[in-house]
Amino acid sequence: MSSKARLKGLLIGVAMQAANYALILIMALVVGAAVILVSGKNPIDAYIALFQGALGSPIKIADTLDRSSVLILTGLAAAVAFRTSVWNLGLEGQLYAGAFAAAWVGFSIHGLPSPIHITLCLLAGTLVGGLWGLPAILLKLRWDVNEVVSTLMLNYIAILFTAYLVAFPFRSPTAFMPGTETLDATARLPRLMIPGSVLNIGFLIALAFAFSVFWFLYRTKLGYELRMVGFNPRFAGYAGMPVRRSTFLAMIFSGALAGLGGAVVITGFFGRFISSFSVGYGWDGMVISLLAQNHPLGVIPAAIFYAALANGALAMQSATGVPQALVVTVKGTIMFFVTVQFFIAFLNRRLRQWMPSTS
Amino acid sequence: MDAFDILGRIITLTLFAATLRMATPVLFATLGGICSAHSGVFNVGLEGLLDLGAFFAVVGSVALGSPWAGLALAIVSCLVASLVFAVIHLELKAHEIIVGLALNLFAYGLTNYLLVAILKATGFYKSPLIIGFQPVNIPLIERIPIVGELLSGHSPLVYLGFLGVALAYVGLFKTPWGFHLRAVGENADAAEAVGINTRLMKYAGMLLSGALCGFGGAFLSLAYLNMFSENMTAGRGWLALAAVNFGEGRPLKSLVACLIFGFADALAIRLQQFGLPSQLVLMLPYVATLVVLILSAIQRSRKAEQVLESPPPAAKPVEV
Repeated sequence: MSSKARLKGLLIGVAMQAANYALILIMALVVGAAVILVSGKNPIDAYIALFQGALGSPIKIADTLDRSSVLILTGLAAAVAFRTSVWNLGLEGQLYAGAFAAAWVGFSIHGLPSPIHITLCLLAGTLVGGLWGLPAILLKLRWDVNEVVSTLMLNYIAILFTAYLVAFPFRSPTAFMPGTETLDATARLPRLMIPGSVLNIGFLIALAFAFSVFWFLYRTKLGYELRMVGFNPRFAGYAGMPVRRSTFLAMIFSGALAGLGGAVVITGFFGRFISSFSVGYGWDGMVISLLAQNHPLGVIPAAIFYAALANGALAMQSATGVPQALVVTVKGTIMFFVTVQFFIAFLNRRLRQWMPSTS
Repeated sequence: MDAFDILGRIITLTLFAATLRMATPVLFATLGGICSAHSGVFNVGLEGLLDLGAFFAVVGSVALGSPWAGLALAIVSCLVASLVFAVIHLELKAHEIIVGLALNLFAYGLTNYLLVAILKATGFYKSPLIIGFQPVNIPLIERIPIVGELLSGHSPLVYLGFLGVALAYVGLFKTPWGFHLRAVGENADAAEAVGINTRLMKYAGMLLSGALCGFGGAFLSLAYLNMFSENMTAGRGWLALAAVNFGEGRPLKSLVACLIFGFADALAIRLQQFGLPSQLVLMLPYVATLVVLILSAIQRSRKAEQVLESPPPAAKPVEV
């Protein structure tokens, strides 16, 4: 194929993706507008308030980036699992388990130099997050227990169990809401130099992991095996790849990344573990990964988009009175259409008509 | 007070009556899941459908002043939602698990949004305007000492739920229509070849699953509690999915799973009254589900080993 034809193919691909995302976004905004009209408000005002709340000033942009840190990590967690066709719907539970572990290391060990203390916190979160994925994958490999339901049950168990921990054994007597003591200052992630914003190095950590996961999945033998197993387990098996090992690793890595997400949001944002602190970070991670077509680098813009939606929602509610739950319906709508094959096929046909290929 | 004494105070007749009540919403969702599973669609949207049903049941009851109107609105809203699910999955070829998850997310967002926008409440809505179902006393049975206390005095929906098990059994296994539906789930190509309209059957399975979740949702907000709150489904749609999985499509076997969850739920409420930490006690139904799931999987793998079958078919790859 000539380089000109290849360039044309690439252009078609990019244009198709762009058009596909534009279509999904338009659908979601239209459904959202219809829902806003139900409450008798003006959709355009609401969307303007949402945009300004998310990206209206440098501080708001920085806060949106901060919020995206945990979403990038849970998005990566979902991407690793989904790429391998492991339905890990337990990200939320793994996030809670990791978050509590990180908090525990943060408030019960004292007198360490900050970099070491932070590293220990993040390591604890990663480790415990991975461990929380262990029962589901062992049950799947041993008795073929469906991981969709088992991971979900582990979510509820993690959320309730950590709620118990902070309500009784670890409850801080001074805290207003059930939660642990605050973390030592040495365990807190340092802020980046943006005055007035909560943005901290958690965002850089998340970016580093996005690139690492990309490198792992696309540049290493182990990652290649994971992708092949996800693509077609039978074929991977015939080709001599360790299907069971790959499935196992995908679940553990996925849980570890979700646990790290929990650790980052606790050490970076909350500063202590609060019962039911997560507003669906794990669930959002799945949608983000799907939006990114399970690509680790695609997760970054998708997570920032979701963080913007979440931060804008609150501003929209206070400015226009449109309930912030609207954003959840918009997210749901995006998810409805994100795996629709029809758009891509349709766009593909159209674009090829407009740009007839040379060969 | 010795251990037997405490046990005697926990395990009472009311506990078993409560088991039947708590099993009902899961049972409806389970029957719905069975219908769609037989048509070959793995419906993970049950949780969202229950949520929608519970919300619109309250809206219908408040607007029209009757629990039956609430039930009707719940069914209609769930039918619409599952029609959307079906169109996006069957016509636009989106992945079924993802569409199901999307439905859950969408339903959660929509009910919380409308809770603020229409009912002007945050978190939960409780009002004397909500007319719930009244318990029904069964004429003869209520006189029988133990049986009466156990079986009489439930909401009509509880009886409908158990009737539903029988109807599902007959409908799916004793009628030609049920045979066709199962044929589609078993092997769509073969069913198509003998002239069954597979697409129509899949729509039927999905819509039935929606309607049944409407019953389950209405039970939650108009019979179990007379209110709607965020997260009031509390994962019952997922428990139902586990019950479908456990029953392997057979309504009676799934009923057993539903009763186990119902018992765990009832026991959790009972134990809270004895001062045990609610967070730990509320884990019971989910732990019970895991146990049920594991037991059924062990049983299945034993059976598979006996007939020396090939390994189970691999999961569908995620194509996005």
